[in-house]
Amino acid sequence: MTALLETPLLETRGVWQRFGGLVANSDVSISVGRGEIVGLIGPNGAGKSTLFNLIAGVLPPTQGSIIFDGEDVTRLPAAERCQRGVGRTFQVVKSFETMTVIDNVIVGALIRNTKMRIARQKAYEVLEFCGLAARADKLAADLVPSEKRRLEVARALATEPKLLLLDEVLTGLTPVEAQTGVELVRKVRATGVTVLMVEHVMEIVMPLVDRAIVLNLGKVLVEGKPTEVVRNPEVISAYLGDRHAVGA
Amino acid sequence: MDTHFAQRRRRDLIVAGCLAVIAALVPLFVKDVYVQNIMVLTLMYAALSQSWNILSGYCGQISLGHALYFGLGAYTTALLFTKFGVLPWFGMLAGGAISAVIAMALGYPCFRLRGHYFVIATIVIAEIALLLIQNWDWAGAALGIDIPVRGDSWLKFQFARSKLPYFYFALALACIAWLVTWWLEDSKWGYWWRAVKDNPDAAESLGVVVFNSKMGAAAVSAFLVAVGGSFYAQFVSYIDPESVMGFQFSLLMALPAVLGGVGTLWGPVLGAVILIPLTELTRSFIGGSGRGVDLIVYGTLIVVISLALPRGLVSVFSWRKEAAR
Repeated sequence: MTALLETPLLETRGVWQRFGGLVANSDVSISVGRGEIVGLIGPNGAGKSTLFNLIAGVLPPTQGSIIFDGEDVTRLPAAERCQRGVGRTFQVVKSFETMTVIDNVIVGALIRNTKMRIARQKAYEVLEFCGLAARADKLAADLVPSEKRRLEVARALATEPKLLLLDEVLTGLTPVEAQTGVELVRKVRATGVTVLMVEHVMEIVMPLVDRAIVLNLGKVLVEGKPTEVVRNPEVISAYLGDRHAVGA
Repeated sequence: MDTHFAQRRRRDLIVAGCLAVIAALVPLFVKDVYVQNIMVLTLMYAALSQSWNILSGYCGQISLGHALYFGLGAYTTALLFTKFGVLPWFGMLAGGAISAVIAMALGYPCFRLRGHYFVIATIVIAEIALLLIQNWDWAGAALGIDIPVRGDSWLKFQFARSKLPYFYFALALACIAWLVTWWLEDSKWGYWWRAVKDNPDAAESLGVVVFNSKMGAAAVSAFLVAVGGSFYAQFVSYIDPESVMGFQFSLLMALPAVLGGVGTLWGPVLGAVILIPLTELTRSFIGGSGRGVDLIVYGTLIVVISLALPRGLVSVFSWRKEAAR
């Protein structure tokens, strides 16, 4: 039992993803421990979203394997990974627009609760947790962008994930909204959920994450404590170009 | 908020119950056979459209080939009765079951298609089935099947003298289709279907197996439509391929729901109550000229309603005011 607790919750082993001639991920091996908040960062085109989609099960990797909670899930489709405890949000929000906010969340809650009354109750609790309870009966289409982001998180949380994958949930928000988002992520972790978040806005994620993994050109460039990562010359050069790295 | 939702569902149920009772009383006052005939057709199309709405409205997989299931229901019942003496009641269930199985068999390849490609596939498949039946000698080929009527009998579900039994059966069918929809709307399936319609990728990420959801919707939808087809075969007592499997049936199933409100509980009922009498009345009063004036009036009405109320007629009654915007 202790051995199981010590194994990482998520592991990718030598994952490759090729799209025709383009190599989006090459030999990526990362691990995420239980209870961690890990940031997956890197400049545009670094392969963050591809890796994210491989973990969520949108497509299988060209090569390599993905281990979740001690089980090889490499070939499992997204729905079955959700069943096993992987929850995700989408970079471009994908709300169920013609449904109400609470109904959006009920869809997520139904995977763990087959009784409608209980699923509805559960969905309402999640909305309260995410600060959206007042919007419960609104149509998802009528929410403002920051609320839609929170709805994405709420929907994923309703599936009671062990690992929550957040795809740029803090990007494009006002500083105040982003701060609310940061607090929500902390609250989520406090409930025992592990978080892996993709972001490219460094100043928002760095104070939040326990560990940062930097991808560049499809490979893991560095990983470590956020304070170390931001000072790493290779990271600075990947983000800002070689000239700055030499200056540092 | 929980009670608010429960109240709305209970209110829907009470309204439906009242409407059913009122509808059941109408024949006591309306003795005109022509009008009774229109009422039977209205109820039948309400039921058919409600069933179509399950796959195409709730689950968002627009089918313009549901005539196939209607025809399958009609043919299964008629063939079982005329060739093997199987009572229509069993024929109805057999037709429903066969249609549900075929809907899933066809769904297996077709549900990989999205949007317009899916719609085209449904039309083509129904047309192929029509051609096959037209050339199937054992099933009467293009001549069809005459169901021998030997007096009134509930057992054989045939009535020569009165339309009333058909009326009550059609009413029961419409109620069943409505109740099934009402029940499914607040079930796991109902939520899954709407999620699949709105965004299949997001649904999949929340643990919804999109493919299976579509298969479930297709099976339920096809079953109910086939029961409608079985009923129709008994009602008209003579069927031929074109008159039970023609493309117009696919359209007539879709139109009431589209007019009333796609993917809504009340849309198909409302649409059928307006559309079907209108079709029949325009045909008998201004359709005699042979110039198609009835179709012009009919078509214009559909265009006007869809322009003015793109969410269908039910949006007028919408309890959520901002939805009407």
